[in-house]
Amino acid sequence: MAQVNRTQAGGRINRGKPLSFTYNGKQFTGYEGDTLASALLANGVDIIGRSFKYSRPRGIVAAGAEEPNAVMQVGATEATQVPNVRATQQALFNGLTCSAVAGWPNVDFDLMSYVGKIGGKMMPPGFYYKTFMGPAGMWPIYEKYIRKAAGLGKAPKEKDVDIYDAMNRHADVVVVGSGPAGLAAARAAASSGARVILADEQEEFGGSLLHSSETINGKPAAEWVTEVVAELAGNKNVVLLPRATVNGLHDHNFLTIHERLTDHLGDRAPTVDGVQMARHRMHKVRAHCVILATGAQERPIVFANNDVPGVMGASAVATYINRYGVVPGKTLVVGTANDDGYDAAIAWKKAGRDVAAIVDSRPGADGDRVEEARQLGIKIIFGSVVYDAKGQTRVKAAKVGAVSPDGKKLIGDKLDISCDTIATSGGWSPVVHLSCHSGTRPQWDDKIIGFVPGDCYENRLYVGGISGNYELGACLTDGQAAGENAAKSAGFTPDTPRANYQTKAVKVSAPMALFVAPHEKPFSRAPKQFVDYQNDVTAGGIELAVREGFESIEHVKRYTALGFGTDQGKLGNINGMAIAAQVRGATIPEVGTTVFRPNYTPIAFGAIAGRNAGELFDPKRYTAMQSWHEANGALFEDVGQWKRPWYYPKPGETMQQSLDRECLATRESVGILDASTLGKIDIQGKDAREFLGRVYTNAWAKLAVGKCRYGLMCGEDGMVFDDGVTSCLAENHFLMTTTSGGAAHVLEWLELYHQTEWPELEVFMTSVTDHWATMTISGPNSRKLLEQVSEGIDLDKDAFKFMDWRQGKVDGIPSRVFRISFTGELSYEINVPANYGLQVWKKLMEVGAQYNITPYGTETMHILRAEKGFIIAGQDTDGSVTPQDLGMSWAVSMNKPFSFIGKRGMNRQDPTRANRKELVGIKTKDPKVVLVEGAAAVNERNYKQGSNVVQGHITSSYYSAVLGRSIALGMIKDGFNRMGETVYYPTMDGSVIEAEICSPVFYDPKGDRQNV
Amino acid sequence: MSDITPVIVMNDCAVMNQFASDNSKAESPMVNVKWANSSNATVFAKELAFSGHIVLRGKPTDDAFMAGAAKVLGTELPGKLSSVESGEYVVRWLSPDTWLITMPGAAAYALETRLRETLTGHYQVVNESGGQTLLVLSGENAENVLHKSVHYDIHISNFPVGKVVNTNFAKTGCTLRRLGEQEFELVVRRSFSDYVAAWIQDAAAEYGFAWQG
Repeated sequence: MAQVNRTQAGGRINRGKPLSFTYNGKQFTGYEGDTLASALLANGVDIIGRSFKYSRPRGIVAAGAEEPNAVMQVGATEATQVPNVRATQQALFNGLTCSAVAGWPNVDFDLMSYVGKIGGKMMPPGFYYKTFMGPAGMWPIYEKYIRKAAGLGKAPKEKDVDIYDAMNRHADVVVVGSGPAGLAAARAAASSGARVILADEQEEFGGSLLHSSETINGKPAAEWVTEVVAELAGNKNVVLLPRATVNGLHDHNFLTIHERLTDHLGDRAPTVDGVQMARHRMHKVRAHCVILATGAQERPIVFANNDVPGVMGASAVATYINRYGVVPGKTLVVGTANDDGYDAAIAWKKAGRDVAAIVDSRPGADGDRVEEARQLGIKIIFGSVVYDAKGQTRVKAAKVGAVSPDGKKLIGDKLDISCDTIATSGGWSPVVHLSCHSGTRPQWDDKIIGFVPGDCYENRLYVGGISGNYELGACLTDGQAAGENAAKSAGFTPDTPRANYQTKAVKVSAPMALFVAPHEKPFSRAPKQFVDYQNDVTAGGIELAVREGFESIEHVKRYTALGFGTDQGKLGNINGMAIAAQVRGATIPEVGTTVFRPNYTPIAFGAIAGRNAGELFDPKRYTAMQSWHEANGALFEDVGQWKRPWYYPKPGETMQQSLDRECLATRESVGILDASTLGKIDIQGKDAREFLGRVYTNAWAKLAVGKCRYGLMCGEDGMVFDDGVTSCLAENHFLMTTTSGGAAHVLEWLELYHQTEWPELEVFMTSVTDHWATMTISGPNSRKLLEQVSEGIDLDKDAFKFMDWRQGKVDGIPSRVFRISFTGELSYEINVPANYGLQVWKKLMEVGAQYNITPYGTETMHILRAEKGFIIAGQDTDGSVTPQDLGMSWAVSMNKPFSFIGKRGMNRQDPTRANRKELVGIKTKDPKVVLVEGAAAVNERNYKQGSNVVQGHITSSYYSAVLGRSIALGMIKDGFNRMGETVYYPTMDGSVIEAEICSPVFYDPKGDRQNV
Repeated sequence: MSDITPVIVMNDCAVMNQFASDNSKAESPMVNVKWANSSNATVFAKELAFSGHIVLRGKPTDDAFMAGAAKVLGTELPGKLSSVESGEYVVRWLSPDTWLITMPGAAAYALETRLRETLTGHYQVVNESGGQTLLVLSGENAENVLHKSVHYDIHISNFPVGKVVNTNFAKTGCTLRRLGEQEFELVVRRSFSDYVAAWIQDAAAEYGFAWQG
């Protein structure tokens, strides 16, 4: 298809490189250098979407981030779908495939337009709230169809095939925006040797200079841009980030910059030398000083039917002509309140097409561009406005009428001017968005008729358009000064002599404040005058909201949805505020200011995830024996970030069969467990013993060298949070063990108390979790096995008793062996430096073969300990359980000379009251039935729903092979006094399981087996 | 039954030579990592396996401790965020009362005993040799890999040669030291070393990565 609107020459596109693309299933051609929007306009595509509420046809109105209508679903395959891409910010590439997100079933014929036509007057602000209020529960169903019709894009159904990246950066000066002010600032700052980052959201640096006809130092502005960018690129202290949107400017000058690395290259990121490139990169930047040179966005004038395709921003029209070589129509009418609107007409005329008229609301003007337009023979109608547009799917004519000097009323004659394009300029809105992100409210400036950034306590500078300064020479010199000041604030000295910038002064006539063109009818009766295109908010809607009592602009916004689209109201917010002010008879500052939140433009989720995806989503921690576990068929369980063997199924085994085999082998001969993940803390110092006495609930004063002791740790509230065995290695030296998941927290807890409460105690603690590989051999044959692989240890039962530790060698490796037991069997925990872990493990397996040594995982460990009634902190406890609730008063010493953490908490009224939930054993009446963990207990089979009916819940539940029946641990109210009583556990399927309360020690209650 | 191994006690702490006389079957934490080998690499990594790692804790305000440590190490203990090399020792400041000393693995026990012979008062010596490893990252894009991994400002003006920081590394932590303009050393915990190795290779893929085993 021919590019009907493409100029023969001019613009920054490469006519030698045609690119083909597909829009709504049709193929088109554009050129290298085009955006998707400029290519669509070049091809004369008028309608690129349907509006949210009324489903009216919409066309492209802007050329930048503020574009509300041209929001596309981009992607050639399901896996590469990206919703809500602004066509104005998407570089064209060969093969680009996109469709309009709005309009269902399609943009040219769609169902909702009938709703819009029929419902027009019946869809006031708050329509959805008012209409779809009830019945309760139906909103999700309404919403599904409303959203589908409204066109907010669709998420891809397949996994994203691209990868994303993130980088942390630090800079002395970050410059946001690379127009004249930004470039001058970056250049001045960089000259000082400061580290500078220059970020700009567009495809190339230069901002407004890329379509400007002005000169700098006698050269075309674009040439100056090329020179300065080359100079910056050659400075190793400068990082240039094109295609990089500063989407967030957070506290302490922390910026999130979203760089689109390959969006301009293809449907997905390319592979280079076999390496897949990242599609986007998030730069997390910490800056000493931030210079915002974000410029300004043109504010359209609101008028009736101003959403008919062909209505555009005047600067957008000028940009499309000058930068992209696209004249988006045949005959132009400009409606303006300032000299800038003339740019569109001048460019249009110079491109050889008709300008029907410039309609200027001011009584007269004598600026240079007004003169230029006159000399080009363009008809100028002063004192008038475009107040209505004719046309359905494309503008057919502009209705023009004379206006009162204050712009509030139509007076006198009216005429229709035939045209297919209406370009308006109501002035400029500084891009203050980033300045608001950390809480600063923008301030209204009557002089520039716009909001400028408010005062801020961060080290930030605002230059150029964002501060309402639109004159090229001033932008350059202000930018230069800001760059120097920013560098100075970071301790650098700017280069001298300073660069000198010569520009030609342009005479500008004073602008007029005009936000909305008056109609013959009031807002409420006039044809729709759109303020926010994305949410179909009209001037009449804002008026109604004010009439219904919403005075603050924040309330008006929420009621009308003004500024709530993916464009965040970049184009419409200020006009909306002006209209609210006009209706209220107030000033704009009186209706409030508007603030913007991160992100400036939508961000792909992938860019937020970065490299923390797939295998790298979370660290996987491995022990020294991991390769053996994998080679021997272990399945793994996550314990914190650790991967622990869960069980080791043999071919054909069910899980329960594996567990039965592992349990019985341990009870009957010997099992082996990788216990390396247990937290281990080396504690030294003359007050180590005293320190232990304060952090554990039990007594440590008399623990002899060579002995081990079990301890409970409580929080200040007296509730158990961790447990473990601590061994006395020497008089002032202890090795503490903690739960696998709780290790880091326990160490921090100990340091916290030492550093803040008891700094006088001479004690140091250091984690040695990773240093020691720990393997537990457990079962009646474990002593025989250890005898065959160890040296230097007297294993005689009276020389090396239960709860003793000894030093020696295992397989020739220096070891500490602890005779402690979590299974109730004769058991040794062998600790060797982790580099030797696999070697010693393999030796134990090799020598243990004669005893049928059986590796077991966490699940068997859980069963074996439950058979013995040993708790697991975090499974049988939940932060609301005291040692007494666990029946572990024996592990609490209330008589220690110094208090301990939790003592006061556990002696409060509630923890000491009667009828607390207590940990007991639970035996189902049917021994084959295994209760579900978490099951709730009730007293009656035919219980009645109600408060206090639940007596407790199951915390651990297994099938015990050695007992030939199920076992469970659980909390039961007043459980210790209810031994032998029956409780009932209702299940999900409605059946009720009967069970008996019993001792939590199911196996070997006297503990003979561990003491052999 | 062989002779019973006595527990050696120094300064009321148990001391043990934890380096086996036969180190041949030992495995470093990164032994199972599958390393890429790009032919046009600009990022390189190597592991200094089986080093001795000794953590020394004591109060910098304790003159006797500081002097004793200096005597044993042949150098003053380094101050905040710095490191010092002395003979076979590299001493890194880890926190106001913690230093990490690395050396050949077989030398760790001798250092521990010499420290315990020399130091008096309150201090801690802990052997961490099996618990962590040293990884050296180098090449013209090593700094970019670190940009993807740590939040700390590693520009040479802020992070000169010899400086040490404890910082985050992706979703784990590391002790980072600059060895040269384009050379960095990471102290990596054993259990996180597979993750760190995978992360580094992923982050370095676009620059070309090669293992210098």
